[in-house]
This record gives sequence, structure tokens and C-alpha cells, in this order.
Amino acid sequence: MLYTIFYGFSIGAILYFVSIGLSLTFGTMRVVNFAHTLTYSIGVYVLITSISWMGGNFIPAAMIAILAVIPLSYLVERFIIRRLYGESLDYTFIATFAVTLIGVDTIKIIWGVNPLPFSPPMSTYIDFWGMTFPLYRIIIFGIAIALFLGLEIFFRKTIVGKIVVAALDDKDGTRCLGISVDKYFSVMFMLGSALAALGGVLYAPISAVQPYMGLSILLLAFAVVIVGGMGNLRGTFISAFALGMVMALTARYWSQGAETMVFIVMAVVLCFRPLDA
Amino acid sequence: MDRSEKLIFPDPGDSPQKARTGLEVLIIGVGFLILMPLISIHRVTDFMIFCIFALSFDLLYGYMGRLSFGHLLYLGTGAYVYGFLIKFFQTDAFLAILCGVLAAGLLGMLLGPIMVRATGACFSLMALAFNHIGFFLVLSPLKHITNGEDGFGAHAKSLGFLDFNSKTVMFVLSLLALLLVFYILKRLTTSPYGILVRSIKEDENRVRFLGYNTYYYKWVTFVIASAIAGLAGTLTALNYKFVNPNVMDVHQNVGVVFACLIGGAGNLYGAIIGGVAYMMISNYLAIYIHRWEMFLGLSMLIIVFKFRKGIWGYIETLGGHFRRPKEIRPAAQKGA
Repeated sequence: MLYTIFYGFSIGAILYFVSIGLSLTFGTMRVVNFAHTLTYSIGVYVLITSISWMGGNFIPAAMIAILAVIPLSYLVERFIIRRLYGESLDYTFIATFAVTLIGVDTIKIIWGVNPLPFSPPMSTYIDFWGMTFPLYRIIIFGIAIALFLGLEIFFRKTIVGKIVVAALDDKDGTRCLGISVDKYFSVMFMLGSALAALGGVLYAPISAVQPYMGLSILLLAFAVVIVGGMGNLRGTFISAFALGMVMALTARYWSQGAETMVFIVMAVVLCFRPLDA
Repeated sequence: MDRSEKLIFPDPGDSPQKARTGLEVLIIGVGFLILMPLISIHRVTDFMIFCIFALSFDLLYGYMGRLSFGHLLYLGTGAYVYGFLIKFFQTDAFLAILCGVLAAGLLGMLLGPIMVRATGACFSLMALAFNHIGFFLVLSPLKHITNGEDGFGAHAKSLGFLDFNSKTVMFVLSLLALLLVFYILKRLTTSPYGILVRSIKEDENRVRFLGYNTYYYKWVTFVIASAIAGLAGTLTALNYKFVNPNVMDVHQNVGVVFACLIGGAGNLYGAIIGGVAYMMISNYLAIYIHRWEMFLGLSMLIIVFKFRKGIWGYIETLGGHFRRPKEIRPAAQKGA
């Protein structure tokens, strides 16, 4: 049972990485960013390539993967999403989905269609009160906590964070103060994409690597964002771990039903919550 | 009803209106009959079934403004219920089709109250999530009856002179179904109900302010759209004599969205033209261009940025240049 809870935490951490970017882009720009799947999977594929350059050294390879995603997400933001500000949500949804389709095909061209093998960078287990936990999952969980605290500090203490929080609350009011909101949104978008890539990089070793891998995790991340409240950063954190726990507990008793359970929880939550998006 | 009111709310019982709808049905029928010898008969049957699906999607997206990224769920429900009835109970095909349509409608009725409260992105995502659940159910917990990924065959017994193995019978059946659906939707969308649904798309708060309970209108529209999608599903199963989880694969949803956009959302002809255009692209382009998903993505971007009205939108503006003077003249005479 304790193992299950532990796995729930590590899944929750991954969900948090992916969904925080979605939540940010939705809260600030009112854009449902389907292209998030793309940054997620591109991050993983770049990692696979760069890890062979680095001679199997995981950490610098992961850095390269995350940094590689940033210019890509800038291009998506600049040429697709910025043109659709204030338009109907449907169009941004369709446009970013189209970007995903293009991206998935690009991945297929560069890296091929077949799933790629990829093993965890470390297979150390640590003993703890007579139980053994894989160290890798502990590290994932640690990074998630660090990231949450880091983002909290970022949004409270730094000027960029404060502007973004202000813009989340009232975009026009912030713009009236003479702040170029779009510039900060662009930064947020890149940050969100980089975090998605981080999630991908950390999750890839314990899941399968294939061109459509982003899509299923994106659906889960959307569920997290909807349950936690769109644009609500702390809500996203809580719901990510809650849904991660739901997945782990379901998987313990009924392994195929794990993902579906998340959507059922989402549907139940939606029944009792006002919808404003 | 004075004249200006009549222009906005065309009376469905109006005999010119009726005659026009009849003419339109005829034109579409003839159009597909012409298409049939040009392309193979089997493909055109496919095209028409997809057009039925595109029409049901258009009712949701084009008319009510709810972009569903999980509409295949209802198509799949129709197909599976049809398949079960044929396989396990050996019912005749028409009863199975009826049950498939009813089942899809019923599912729409159950999920409707949850779905239609949401708008915009929330609606799309919920539709996607439900589709995912359906796909999963078919694939693994119900594996003992759906046979999982492999699917199962469903051969309908021939009914009198109707031999469902014959391509001609399938063609005629699909054509009749398409025309029937088109006729129903045409009457529906030009009725006061249809105008209300379109008003919900424009501004739901105002419609509510006028005293309508928009919730029920949205629900009913959702149920109709699901039932028609179910019809498309049963016809797919009847046509292929085979049901597998591909009929509700989450990834395939993009096809109908694309079809609706390229044809011109919010118009029944748009849906039909878009459906044919999409099927042409997916059937023929895939032969020449290996990575046709990329082409699909690129053209979706172009549509979103430059071509929002779709093919029918352009035909309409072109046609408007020729038609407008004619329409104003009799109206002006009447008004005088």
C-alpha cells in the first residue's frame, strides 16, 4: 500500500510538470494549448538523441532537451498563438492541434514511427524502513516539490512573476499600467513548454517512447487543469497529486483502468463545479 | 408576420421553402449519383456515410458552436450496438440500425446534461475525455464481447430482395439515409428551434434573457447530433460488416473537424462538401503523400488563418453576386 502511495506521488509530480504550463497559458492567454504535447514529445526525442552524444550522461542531455524546446515554443507562440489572441477558443484549439499533427509527423520523419527503447538513467534502490524504493522516482518527487516552491517564490517575489499574477487576474488592468503583457505571456509560454519538456524527460525513462506519447499525457494534464481550476497555480498542484494518487490506487486494483478513472473523477468534479471556460 | 420578420424566420411550412428543400435534396442526390461512376461505388458509399457524420458534427459545431473533439464516441456506440445485435441476436439489419441510433441517442441523453453546461474548450476536452473512456471500455473491460483490438464480424442476413453484400444496395441505402438526414436537419435548422440554436451560438446570455431555457435546447440538439452520429456508425458497420475499436479511436476525431472547417462550418452544404473533400484527400492523397497528417495540419492552419468561411462560404459569396438583385426585386414589390 505504501508503495502505491509512493507511486502516486511520482505520477502526480509528472502530471504537475506537464499541467502547470497548460494552466499558465490558459490562465494568462485564454488559449488551450494543444501544442503542449508537441513540446513534451520533442523534449523526449531530443533527449534520446543528445544522450548518445553525451555518452550516456543523463543530466547534460536532459538540459539540452529542455533548452531545445524553448526556441521551438517561441516560434509556436509568435506565429500561431499570438495571432489568435482574443479569437474564439475553438480556433486556437484547432490551430494548436494542427501544430501537433505537423509536429508528430516531423517526429516520425526524423526518429521513425516505432517505439524507442529507453531505460532509467539510474536503477539504484534505496532502503527505507525495511522497504526498497527506486531512487529515480524519489528524485522526480523531490524535483516536483522544489519546482512548486520555486514557482511560488517566483510568482510572489520576482517582478516578472508578480506581473504574470496580476495579468492572470486582470489582463486589461495590467496593460493599463503600461506593461507590455504579451511579452510576459511569451515568457510564460516558453516556461510552460520547458516544464512540459522536463516532465517528458523525467517520465520517458519509466514509460514508452513513441510519437503519440504526448497525447495521452496531455489528456491527463487537461483533466488536472480542469479539476484544479484553469489558471489556478496552487489548485493545479493539489489536483495533480490528487489525480496521480487516483491513478496509482486504481492501477493497484485494476491496472488498465487507471487513466479512465482520472476522467471519471474529472466528470464527477465537473458535475458539481460551475464552468466558466 | 411582416416581411422583415419573415426574412429572418422563414416559415418551414411555407410551400416555396418546402419546395426549395426538396430541390436541394434532389441536387445532392443527383450529385452523388454523378460522383458514383467517377469514383468507385464502394468509395462513394463511404463518402456518404462520412457526410452523415459530418452533418451531425456540423449541427453541434457549426450551428450550436460547441466544438466536440470526441464525437466519434457516438458513432462508435452506434456501430457496436449494431454489431452486438447482429452477432448475438441475429436480428434483421433495420432493427439493429434502429437500436444503434437509439443507443447513441440515449448515450447523448445521459452525457448531455454534463456536457452541455460547458462551453468552448471545456466542452471539447470533456468530449475528448468521454471518447477516451468509451475507447478504453471497448478495448479492454468489455473485451470478452467486443473482442478487443481485433474487432468482430457482423454479417447482416439479406432481407427479402435487399442483399446487404451487394454494393448497389449499400449505395442506395446510404444515399437514402444521407438524404433523409439532410432533409431532417434542413427542416430543423430553418425552424424557429434551429434559429434559437444558432442564437445560442451567438450569445447564450441574451437568449436566456429572452426567457428561453437554453439548457434544454442545447441538450436536445446534443441528443439529435449523437443519434445521427449513431446512424453513421451503424451504416459504417453495415457497410464493412465488421466492427473494431477504430470506429471510436480518439485520434480520428480530427478528420470530421477538418471536414467541417474546410467545407464551411454552420452550413449543411458545407458539411457535405467538406465531407467529400476530406474523404477525397484521405483516400487519394494518402497514396501520393506518405505523411498526409502533416498536410492535414498545414491545411488546418491555413483554414484557421485565411479561409475561415470554407469552400461553401466562398461559393455563397460568389453566388451572392449573381443572385442578390433578383431576390430584392420581388420583396420590394411586395413591400410596396
